[in-house]
Amino acid sequence: MTAIRDLAGFNAVHGAGLAKLMPPRPRIAVGMGTCGSGNGAEAVMHAFAEAIGQRGLDIDLVRTGCFGFCAEEPLVNVRLPGQPLVILHRVRVNHVERILDDLAAKTVTANLALCRIEKWNHLTSHVHYGNGFPEIPLWNEIPFFKGQKKIVLRNAGLINPDDIEEYVAVGGYQALYKVLIDGTPEAANEQIKESGLRGRGGAGYSTGLKWEFLRKAQAERKFLICNADEGDPGAYMNRNEIESDPHALIEGMAIGAYITGATDGVIYIRAEYPLAVHQLNHAIAQARDYGLLGKDILGRGFAFDIDVVEGAGAFVCGEETALIASLEGRAGRPRPRPPFPAQKGLWGYPTNINNVETWFNIAPIIACGPAWFAETGNGASAGTKVFSLVGKIRNTGLVEMPLGTPLGSFVHAVGGGSLNGQPVKAVQTGGPSGGCIPPDLFETPVDYESLGRLGAIMGSGGMVVMDEDNCMVDVARYFIQFTRSESCGKCTPCRVGLDKALRILTRITKGQGREEDLADLDELGRMIKETSLCGLGQTAPNSLLTTLRHFHDEFEDHIRAKRCRAGTCQDLALSPCENSCPLHMNIPRFLQLYKEGRLDDAFLSVIMDNPLPASTGRVCQHPCDNRCRRATLDEAVNMREVHRIIADRVLLTDAFDGVAARIAARRLPSSGRKVAVVGAGPAGLTAAFYLSLLGHEVTVFEAHAEPGGMLRYALPEYRLPKAVLDREIEIIRRLGVKFVFNALVGEDVSLNELDAGFDAVFLSIGTWKESWVYLPGTELAGVRPALPFLEGVATGEAMHLGHHVAVIGGGNAAIDSARTAIRLGATATVIYRRERKDMPAIEEEVEAAEQEGVRFQFLAAPHRIVGEHGEVKGIEVVKTRLGEFDTSGRRRPIPTDEVRMIRCSSVILAVGEAVDRDFCRASGLSLKEGGMLDVNRYTLETSREKFYAGGDLVTGASNISNAMGYGKEAARHIDGRLSGGERFDDILPQFSYDHATPDPDPCRRHRGRDLPAQTRARTFTEAVQTLLPEEAAHEAARCLRCDIRENSSHTDSHI
Amino acid sequence: MTKARLATTWLDGCSGCHMSLLDIDEALVAVAPLIDLVYGPLVDAQEFPQDVDVAIVEGAVSNQDDLEKIRLIRRNSHILVALGDCAVTGNVPAMRNPIAVKTILERVYVEGADTGKGIPTEVVPALLKQALPLHDVVKVDLHLPGCPPSARLILFVIKELLEGRVPDLKSSARFG
Amino acid sequence: MPSQITVRIDGVLCTATEGQTIFEVAEANGKVIPSLCHMEGVSPAGSCRLCLVEVAGVDRLLPACTTPAQRGMAVTTTSDRLVRHRRLALELMFVERNHVCAVCVSNGHCELQALAMSLGVTYVRYPYNSPRLPVDVSHPRFVLDHNRCILCSRCVRVCDEIEGAHVWDIGGRGIGSRVVAELDQPWGDSQACTSCGKCVQVCPTGALVEKGYGVEEMTRSNSAVARLAMKKGAAS
Repeated sequence: MTAIRDLAGFNAVHGAGLAKLMPPRPRIAVGMGTCGSGNGAEAVMHAFAEAIGQRGLDIDLVRTGCFGFCAEEPLVNVRLPGQPLVILHRVRVNHVERILDDLAAKTVTANLALCRIEKWNHLTSHVHYGNGFPEIPLWNEIPFFKGQKKIVLRNAGLINPDDIEEYVAVGGYQALYKVLIDGTPEAANEQIKESGLRGRGGAGYSTGLKWEFLRKAQAERKFLICNADEGDPGAYMNRNEIESDPHALIEGMAIGAYITGATDGVIYIRAEYPLAVHQLNHAIAQARDYGLLGKDILGRGFAFDIDVVEGAGAFVCGEETALIASLEGRAGRPRPRPPFPAQKGLWGYPTNINNVETWFNIAPIIACGPAWFAETGNGASAGTKVFSLVGKIRNTGLVEMPLGTPLGSFVHAVGGGSLNGQPVKAVQTGGPSGGCIPPDLFETPVDYESLGRLGAIMGSGGMVVMDEDNCMVDVARYFIQFTRSESCGKCTPCRVGLDKALRILTRITKGQGREEDLADLDELGRMIKETSLCGLGQTAPNSLLTTLRHFHDEFEDHIRAKRCRAGTCQDLALSPCENSCPLHMNIPRFLQLYKEGRLDDAFLSVIMDNPLPASTGRVCQHPCDNRCRRATLDEAVNMREVHRIIADRVLLTDAFDGVAARIAARRLPSSGRKVAVVGAGPAGLTAAFYLSLLGHEVTVFEAHAEPGGMLRYALPEYRLPKAVLDREIEIIRRLGVKFVFNALVGEDVSLNELDAGFDAVFLSIGTWKESWVYLPGTELAGVRPALPFLEGVATGEAMHLGHHVAVIGGGNAAIDSARTAIRLGATATVIYRRERKDMPAIEEEVEAAEQEGVRFQFLAAPHRIVGEHGEVKGIEVVKTRLGEFDTSGRRRPIPTDEVRMIRCSSVILAVGEAVDRDFCRASGLSLKEGGMLDVNRYTLETSREKFYAGGDLVTGASNISNAMGYGKEAARHIDGRLSGGERFDDILPQFSYDHATPDPDPCRRHRGRDLPAQTRARTFTEAVQTLLPEEAAHEAARCLRCDIRENSSHTDSHI
Repeated sequence: MTKARLATTWLDGCSGCHMSLLDIDEALVAVAPLIDLVYGPLVDAQEFPQDVDVAIVEGAVSNQDDLEKIRLIRRNSHILVALGDCAVTGNVPAMRNPIAVKTILERVYVEGADTGKGIPTEVVPALLKQALPLHDVVKVDLHLPGCPPSARLILFVIKELLEGRVPDLKSSARFG
Repeated sequence: MPSQITVRIDGVLCTATEGQTIFEVAEANGKVIPSLCHMEGVSPAGSCRLCLVEVAGVDRLLPACTTPAQRGMAVTTTSDRLVRHRRLALELMFVERNHVCAVCVSNGHCELQALAMSLGVTYVRYPYNSPRLPVDVSHPRFVLDHNRCILCSRCVRVCDEIEGAHVWDIGGRGIGSRVVAELDQPWGDSQACTSCGKCVQVCPTGALVEKGYGVEEMTRSNSAVARLAMKKGAAS
């Protein structure tokens, strides 16, 4: 071919390219970036080639780059002449024949179609593919692309990166032509300045200004360098940009060379990107052939050429002076500036360095003008930025968003929310040098300054989403480990400081942290940031400092409580299930003991970890299920059901007396110290159990006539038979615990009396105040809060519900109320303002309710209750729609204008319970926001000497096992206070049992048997029957025994 | 005025710091009426006493005994002074730290022994993995480096503490 | 002829020649800014980060040894923040290797030790790394003890820039960085080494020493190196 020297030459290439891009025959373009290839695109390509050859089809088959939606790879574009471009996703080899068949039938494979593109703005030109296939969504209608604006990625995944003619076909090199023909370098430089473009490598310095320095520098040679040394873990935008559209880089650099007077270009790219290196070399050769690089570019006497240099992969070589040192063949270490590269750079000549993405923005700015560019973004941060969105998020991929887009849009809108519905805990921006941002700051606009203010950085565009399974201490440790190993070692703060920070963080993740570590880490981090020589050290502590700032509690948990909430730090957890259990039950142990047929030992193991095993075995929220690793194989082990049967087989049989005696025998000799427990709910009973075992004299004060709290008065009989609860409490009685009933603390007994009569007091009075919604009509007869309703039924009070009950709420109390209403002969509708998946109620309970005939009205909020003669006649509900995501990761319900009426005879308000603020206020104890008692997170001490508190009183309405966890911790700390030692673990039994790793067969989870819905809906008999003993043994055997560790991986502290 | 209860002792050190302490010479006479020396090499107390005002400790924490001793001293003392480089940095006793304990013991008790080769398991307290400065194990209130710190400096520190001041050691105390 | 400018250092007006660094201006005006890598006569490394100063109107701290003094600049050489950072930098140097002052030939003549004293570093709050490091005694006259090296790179620069032998360089990276002779071989095997001893004269600690000295006996003269540098500059 001949070099392009004029407009006619351009037009000829342009025409040839368009004929390839939109041929008068079907065209298939397979996304063959490294990401596509990694997902099987090569095999797909090969299959297409073979099939087309075999069938002798007249179809063009080309490769293309990546369109950005990594989660949907491999992507294949197909187009029929005159029709839209259709992007097929998750294409496998076995789809190939069908796709070809469909093309032959003049259609596209609709069920593989992700989206369609009718016309595309390449910015340097428009392409109109054609209209049609309305059943396939337009590309920017699907959430992942909606809100994206493709400037940098304008050609990626659409054109064939091997073919310069396709690049020219979409307007490529015309911006270069434009500046050469009718722009002076000064004027063009002005345009870049005006556009507001800032360096996309992360520092965000004005590109136009930087170029001006070089333009004004006088020297016989000047260098332009493209920094393609993309080294951040999890970041791959530069790779994809080069692989998909190499000419955009070359054109950007050629324009830059003309503007700055540079004579030589260098692209410094990491050797780990072989495809990108190949693509670049190929493109550069083509550009030379077409007269777009070399001695006489476009016949205008302008000379510029580009070399590609492969870097060896040192992260620090992203720093410009280190990069230059590396190019010169020296060790990649930075040097102090001044002199700046624009004064003295590569080989001593003036040099300018920009990131790949900066170069990609140049041609569109020239083509569309600086004003157009500045329209996108928010003021000081103009244009777009490509981010690699990865981590615990549904839609992973490369997203190009206008700068200034709120962080939350990346997570919830484009990203489609968290991977498995867990709340997102943080987003880490900017790669290893960036910072972690918590959800309450997700409204922060993503731009240079806003991120900087949070201690994070834009960096080159890494964006890692983290959820509750990510331990933030471990995250900080990981990133510091990375920067520490990438530190060049030249300056002291970075070399020694990062090493020291890593050692301290590692120590914390092993549970060997010290109180002073947090302050030391903070000072160390600030010092490294403020005093390091280059950008690596100056940003390396960001991950540490932001996690310390935003996730301080987690660090404290590791140091003080030796707990890792996420369960990532192996030395701090026995197994994921144990770690998730508020009571920290040794679950693998009781499963193994039961499997070995040692029922008594299994029971002892269970009850010494959890004093109410039969109740929790029925009604626990079972967080262990969500963490069970068996779920990755088939289904989670039904741990709750196994400890239920273990408990039932002892508590409800003749074995009871023997076992009760065996437990009572474990009681330590009397300490002579007296402890008062206020409230006989799960928290209080648990504290009483352990404190008594520890030898203290325990008195429980309870406002009700019987013990059990919510277990007795809020949980319906069909979920928890009270006979079972009574047996459990009998064990606690036999330990010598005294109960005083009908004693309301604050009225019948004062806190001062408790103070005078006891050595320590544990307050666990729970949340018995109903929350109330202020609706017109709540004054009507037949409107009841859930708790008194359930309590009334539990105590045998007669309830007049009428024919139909409307229940408002989505928690367990709502479901319990509805199912109870059904059992009382009414019908019931649950009204909830969000969607079903957002309901806080236990999933099994919701299912059971449905089976029993409970109706659900989702996305509906109560508007007013309609009455007649003081009686409820119905409830008007307003339809809601889901708006923005809130900090819980759920979408906020927004009322619409649509109101409808549901006829009913009573209304139950199950909108939550709250603490008794009057009690809290009257107690004189210090409170926190929301009226709950303020306690030390670790010791559960209140503001009053020797008073402790736990359970719902401290957390707000929660659940049984959480409350019991508090009771257990309180017992530990109260005993520590009374005995002056650490005795708690002494009362726990030790067992020897098998520690062989199991060899699991696939096997489904065993479930307790439900009574038939028709039967159970008419009675209060227990709805779910326990497993058979042999089923339970089988279920126990499904445990993968995450508690078994390889020997000696554990290292002790150096003391 | 009640006298301040002063205790001094050494862990893994050469007692050179105590020699320096004695080098205070005649100035001791001036300080003596202000202090009650309740524990130390010059005093006939077996047990480290309770309620010590100032404990001055020389030497690194090298073995199990040192560890227990320094914890007891910390519990029973209001102000703990680390005296000399061994207590402050680990110094000479810590020169073994890069080497595994087992290797050292074998070198000394097996390779280096003429008779009775074998690592002792009784009487000799077990070595810790590393010899540590005091503040790695307990909270230290004042560090007085030096090998040894000069008598003048020790006297200055004692006088300042008796006056209830925190001695300013900038530009006067150094390692080595 | 470079022009004369005035800058304010710690509030005092100082006259300077354009092109001089803040460090040089301060020194000429009798103000000592702490440093361990800077040395008159060789190029600045900017690596110890002890000479960082505050410049009015600039957010970041700037190294005095490489930042040119500019007309009207207001420099603060000592502040709480700077002292905190310097002390911590010194602590990190002590932590990194095995500095046992009591048994060092440079005891009493060591720049690291002296600086710690003047900045009031009486202990190191972070645990020591206690790495196991070799001592190179292969050279007939000199010793390289990695235990005492702080990687200031004065030896590297003096050997390269004044002696012209470039025996020394820094090998490895990060916390694993070491001064290496030639391609990381025993010093005694170096063909390029002229045994001139300049590296020994400029070492701020006891890492490079002459054989035959006992504890506290080794003294040095880096002013000799500065004089040589001046002669070299005048000759070229």
